[in-house]
Amino acid sequence: MGKATGFMEFKREDNPSFAPLERIKNFDEFHGELSEAKRRTQASRCMECGVPFCQAGTMIAGMASGCPLHNLVPETNDLVYKGNYEQAYVRLSKSHNFPEFTSRVCPALCEAACTCGLEGSPVSTKDNERFIIEYAYAHGLVKEPVPAVRTGKTVAVVGSGPSGLAAASQLNKRGHKVTVYERSDRPGGLLRYGIPNMKLDKRVIDRRIELMEEAGIEFKCNVNVGVDVTGDELIKQYDRVILTCGASNPRDIKVEGRDAKGVYFAVDFLKEVSKKLMDNDYDVEYLKSATDFSFGSLHGKKVIVIGGGDTGNDCTGTSIRLGASSVIQLEMMPKPPVERLASNPWPEWPKVLKTDYGQEEAIALWGSDPRMYQTTVTEFVKNKDGKLKGVKTVELKPEKDPATGRMNMKPVPGTEKELKADLVLIAAGFLGSQDYVSKSFGVDLDGRTNVATKAGLYETSKKGIFTAGDMHRGQSLVVWAIAEGRAVAKAVDESMMGYTNL
Amino acid sequence: MVDKEETGYLRSLMDFNFPAEGIDISEVESEEEIVKRFKTGAMSYGSISEEAHEALAIAMNHLHGKSNSGEGGESDERIASAGTKNDRSSAIKQVASGRFGVTSKYLVSAREIQIKMAQGAKPGEGGHLPAKKVYPWIAKTRHSTPGVSLISPPPHHDIYSIEDLAQLIYDLKSANKNARISVKLVSEAGVGTVAAGVAKAGAGVILISGYDGGTGAAPVSSIHNAGLPWELGLAEAHQTLRLNGLRGRVIIETDGKLMSGRDVAIAALLGAEEFGFATAPLVTLGCVMMRVCNLDTCPMGIATQNPELRKRFIGKPEYVENFMLFIARELREYMARLGFRTLDEMVGHVELLKKKDDLTEAESRIDLSRILATSVADDNEIDTPFDFELEKTIDESILLKDKKILAAIKSGSKAEKTVEIINTDRAFGTLLGAEITRKNPEGLPDDTITVNCIGAGGQSFGAFIPKGLTLKITGDSNDYFGKGLSGGKLIVSAPANAAYEAEENIIIGNVALYGATSGEAYIAGMAGERFCVRNSGAIAVVEGVGEHGCEYMTGGRAVILGPTGKNFAAGMSGGIAYVLDEDNHLYRNLNKDLVLMEKVESKADCQELKEILTKHLEYTDSVKAKKVLDNYEEYLPKFKKIIPADYKQLLHLISQYEEQGMSREKAQIEAFYASTASNIG
Repeated sequence: MGKATGFMEFKREDNPSFAPLERIKNFDEFHGELSEAKRRTQASRCMECGVPFCQAGTMIAGMASGCPLHNLVPETNDLVYKGNYEQAYVRLSKSHNFPEFTSRVCPALCEAACTCGLEGSPVSTKDNERFIIEYAYAHGLVKEPVPAVRTGKTVAVVGSGPSGLAAASQLNKRGHKVTVYERSDRPGGLLRYGIPNMKLDKRVIDRRIELMEEAGIEFKCNVNVGVDVTGDELIKQYDRVILTCGASNPRDIKVEGRDAKGVYFAVDFLKEVSKKLMDNDYDVEYLKSATDFSFGSLHGKKVIVIGGGDTGNDCTGTSIRLGASSVIQLEMMPKPPVERLASNPWPEWPKVLKTDYGQEEAIALWGSDPRMYQTTVTEFVKNKDGKLKGVKTVELKPEKDPATGRMNMKPVPGTEKELKADLVLIAAGFLGSQDYVSKSFGVDLDGRTNVATKAGLYETSKKGIFTAGDMHRGQSLVVWAIAEGRAVAKAVDESMMGYTNL
Repeated sequence: MVDKEETGYLRSLMDFNFPAEGIDISEVESEEEIVKRFKTGAMSYGSISEEAHEALAIAMNHLHGKSNSGEGGESDERIASAGTKNDRSSAIKQVASGRFGVTSKYLVSAREIQIKMAQGAKPGEGGHLPAKKVYPWIAKTRHSTPGVSLISPPPHHDIYSIEDLAQLIYDLKSANKNARISVKLVSEAGVGTVAAGVAKAGAGVILISGYDGGTGAAPVSSIHNAGLPWELGLAEAHQTLRLNGLRGRVIIETDGKLMSGRDVAIAALLGAEEFGFATAPLVTLGCVMMRVCNLDTCPMGIATQNPELRKRFIGKPEYVENFMLFIARELREYMARLGFRTLDEMVGHVELLKKKDDLTEAESRIDLSRILATSVADDNEIDTPFDFELEKTIDESILLKDKKILAAIKSGSKAEKTVEIINTDRAFGTLLGAEITRKNPEGLPDDTITVNCIGAGGQSFGAFIPKGLTLKITGDSNDYFGKGLSGGKLIVSAPANAAYEAEENIIIGNVALYGATSGEAYIAGMAGERFCVRNSGAIAVVEGVGEHGCEYMTGGRAVILGPTGKNFAAGMSGGIAYVLDEDNHLYRNLNKDLVLMEKVESKADCQELKEILTKHLEYTDSVKAKKVLDNYEEYLPKFKKIIPADYKQLLHLISQYEEQGMSREKAQIEAFYASTASNIG
């Protein structure tokens, strides 16, 4: 199988991305596609490993290595190489419900664990996946299976993020009647409102939701479970309830001046921008000139993003598109190395410097990386009207706690600075689920405010109520959410039917 | 992690019967002592890269354990490094059916010589080295043709019975009396009986190889016919040897996915004294279990000869050493809890093993009672090793006591000696040859020592003799004549007063010159079956052969001045045979799969043939040779040249590249790439 010498003959070539200064003019996806011939060449680089680490999805040193969905990467790569795209789609969809999402937003754990990446670059599995699913959509192959027989069982899924959608898709396929509740106006959860349109075009989600509706899944948007409808009502109405509400409770920066006007949470900011884009039929020009955002217009504004992660990067890219005059990203941790350290060997997740699209764009515009490492905010400075005018920062350095041996970041006296800012976006991670849902259902939480289950299981402290995704495991990746969604579907199916074939 | 794996190993069903009190771990023998019993697996140079092969050897030599050469021979440089500070030579030299590179020098450099009867992952089959891994440097070490697949024959052509095995053990012991002789068997039902036979045949070590030993290159058909777990074979061999009072003769070794100190502890309790590891040490050297060992595309530079990929090799001997020491460390912890100070005390204490308590319903139905049976009647102490009585041989009692011969070995002066021999004088000349090699690794000038023998040669006459030693027989000789000939010269002729025509009578037995690597043999008379099988460099003249002549030959010359039996030149991939085919029977008897039959026309060929025949006449006074040479022009058209097609093509390519001005070495490499290019991908 495969081209045995492909990895020696061909170099990795990524899907082309549009030039930063061009792509910031709109909110469209910024990746193009390779030609079919080139795609096949890329797929031929797969080495058909006897032990494919890419599909292992095991935890090494506390981090996942390989695909949590256990996508059969060597097989799909081989099918692409051989030009058998339909079969590649069939193979991929056996382990994966929504390749169109992960092939756009996944950090590609498969590629980090790819044997080919041990020396040289990994196989471009993520781009291959995108090719497969887009080919399948273009050729009308993508269907949400409609069950031949309905079981008569009903399941409510609370939260329509990737994990809720995966659970719904699986359970519907099995013949259960699934109703998905979503408090926002459109389904998708963080896919919809957490990830900007540049990374995941919202029409990609619509396309999938339509198929799911056609297959019999009911979506109830604008229903805030725990507020508009109580947990008990759902419990009465459905045979099983699955809570997949995510971990959308943002971590705050509780320092002096936090009440300044102009400090926002990243999720709220990104949601507002995405919503306006969709509400106005993806009219980019309208969006760029809009002034009726809660934060006003960004034109000529200085933006500081607190947090150097993916969400921080999304804020950077979005701010640039909305006309910000400068963006600075503050990151507490030290700058990661460019290449793996000896202490972080393959196939562990590589803790290396990643320059994402927003940072690339900032560099293209202003000539330097927007990230400031080992820096944190000590105060939000406001003017007499209570309006934000800057932030006070201090540098940090790692220090080992003699008691626990853990590295903690400690402020360095004398490094205090003040940065000007018109807008601060807090992208400092998430703390856990918002507790009004769990309270409404009366399920127990664990120490990290996640909904508690037994290890490796999905049923909560209350019988018949299950949980999955970020709400269960804490803030994580889309691919984990889908994996959990599939797993909870299996657990729910088994609890209703006595066995499961999902 | 390894021990908790839910894989279906038999040992995962077992647990220890720890005594109420163990001993303090400080009383247990040291890790350094324990690792001396550890060995690495028999992976040939060819199957794995020079870098990986040497890393294993260096590591095991540091630890005073043993690495295994595998069946692919060993380069001169590495053999020369044996015993030096930077010892890169494998302590165990394997002798497999292919006999690749099994020379006197190779054998003399061994601390242990292993006869591979079979391997657990593919019993009943020999090694397979695909064409694209036979790079010129591999071919050189193996005395074969670059770019031509090397399929080791399933059987050893000199072993068709346990007596034959005993003979091979004797031959190898003679070829290096300082080395232990080990026999590698596969764990199978009945292996106990075989082991008993092997112990009686004189082996010092019996290796019971389990089926779960890996080879990333075994064909699917072999994987489906693998052996049994070592737990079964080991228990059976240990129990059978004890019941027959033979346990004291041999050391038992086992291998097959030994991964942890626990595995080793169980193996020791079931009766093993030494332990082989292969997969795990390779993983420490970077193996990522790609299972492309057969494709020459190993991205870690381990199971490949591709120079580009070999640059990726990241392994270091220290990694292997650490692995072995960690295994020993874990083993010591078990030993302390079980109350053993040394591994020797521990061997065979089956009563300390039991079936695990918390097995599932299905698992608990497996009956382990036969494996865990305790049998007595003998202890483990190696107190009755086999006596080869080598001091009684003519070699030791006469030749190696002869002052002239000893002086010749030392200084290269000439020596000649005449002895009478009878057909119980087995492996005649081999001990003498080994002594020559020991003192002169490259041998001596031709004919430095000549021994004239009168009478009947026993089995394995002149086996493995090196350059500089000439053995002449006036009379005849038994089977395995010139086995593994390593540069020496053998001459056989009938007595002048013989009442028979030598050219019409079989004067040497079956399987002559099996695995010969260099040297010359002139036989004025006919040979039996399987003449020159696996010859890879010797020049041999004979006046007729039985069936399967020149089978699997990879080099050298065979000149046959008489009839040939059927299946001639089967599997022949190198070298040339010239056959005087007076009755035009050869075409019918020839196995035409790999070889071409041509006329002897080119000037070079005619010249070469004539030179060989002239020597034959000179050495043996052969009536037939005289007749042919006297009428050379008349006889020449009756000769057929048998040459393997791929070999011919390669020679052609090499000469083409040489004409372009390349050095021979470069030309070989280019020719190799040109001939294998179509195979890749």
